[in-house]
Amino acid sequence: MTASQFTNEFQQVSGQLKSFLLRITASVADAEDILQDTYIKATEKLDTFKGLSSLKTWLFTIASNLAKDNLRAKKRWVENVTDIAKEAALSNPQFLQQSMHIRTTSPQGQFEIKEHIAFCFTCIAKSLPLEQQISILLKEVYEFKLSEISEILATTEAMVKYYLHTGRSKMIDIYEGRCALINKQGICHQCSEINGMFNPKQKFQEEAVKIDMAREAGNAGKERLFDLRLQIIKGIDPFKSNAAELQLHHLEHNRRVMEKYLEKVTV
Amino acid sequence: MATTTLTAQNGKAATVRKTFSRQTSVSTEINADSSIIWALLTDAAGYPRWNNTVIAIDGNISAGENIKLKSTLDPKRTFKLRVKKFDPEHKLVWGDAMGNRVYTLMENGNGPVLFSMTEKIGGPLFPLFAKMIPSFDNSFEQFAAGLKKEAENIMNTK
Repeated sequence: MTASQFTNEFQQVSGQLKSFLLRITASVADAEDILQDTYIKATEKLDTFKGLSSLKTWLFTIASNLAKDNLRAKKRWVENVTDIAKEAALSNPQFLQQSMHIRTTSPQGQFEIKEHIAFCFTCIAKSLPLEQQISILLKEVYEFKLSEISEILATTEAMVKYYLHTGRSKMIDIYEGRCALINKQGICHQCSEINGMFNPKQKFQEEAVKIDMAREAGNAGKERLFDLRLQIIKGIDPFKSNAAELQLHHLEHNRRVMEKYLEKVTV
Repeated sequence: MATTTLTAQNGKAATVRKTFSRQTSVSTEINADSSIIWALLTDAAGYPRWNNTVIAIDGNISAGENIKLKSTLDPKRTFKLRVKKFDPEHKLVWGDAMGNRVYTLMENGNGPVLFSMTEKIGGPLFPLFAKMIPSFDNSFEQFAAGLKKEAENIMNTK
């Protein structure tokens, strides 16, 4: 493969790589840095790429390894990250002002429930062990096969199955306890609360029933609802959507809040 | 002095009672990779998900670590245990001064993995409180069945 062919193919994968890295790191700056490092490293090692796997798998392997290095010293987030971040947001008028400014001025400042669901998933999935988080993203969002994920994570297919199963089980339990969209007893109503703030004229229930996951909540099983949630996430590019700037602003806020929180609980 | 023959197979527990000790064992064949079974046995936080005999395990299940276990056998009590042997995908032992629980995995080529679990408790004062310690048989059978079900579910992930 020539350098120019590689660059051309890299560009085709780079959007997926960047969103994958954002979902792992929850940091735009880190995602961009690692994407750039992936390009550099791949260019340097291009002669070792024998085409035994697809170029996409090879690039995700390099990116995953770089992301793992970046995250090694950082603690995993907590399941109730959104509660902690909400409390911090409510006591931070500047953050709320900035959010409202983005909402009213940016072409990517819309608030949409689906976008919030994807944002929420990124935050909560960071409470999983890293291998479980990566396996779920690779399988369910980026559509890699088990054999490809085992190559990316340098582990066996059996362990990938373990990561997928345990990661899914944990996420399903967390959402079952928290998400009021799928469980009336769920303790988290943030998507409706924030929708009321940014879209005061909109009726939340009317918007929610447009989402398969919310519409099926009363009848479908937990596994099915989780699959529908993953379908939503798969359909959203966090950098290109109509809500990208607003959600990335919120994600940056949550990342900072979590870093402070985890520092405090460690001391 | 033994009153029962040790015939722990196919998920049925068996107990051997002696004057100064008691030993319960169970074994079952599991159609899953031994790495999956090992990962389940060593993920402390994950136990309550698949094992209805465990209320909680706090701590890291790794060599030399101390863990705290709450079991449905005696929910008010917290067992403080130490991981005494940690041989990945082969043998795990935890216990205290009273006794040890031993988990072993035996691979059989491409066939199922034989999972075995044995706990021996005892000591000079054992006869004094032997009657106060409930039978482990049901709990062991549930443990083995839960592990088998979860590991085989995982193995069947597509």
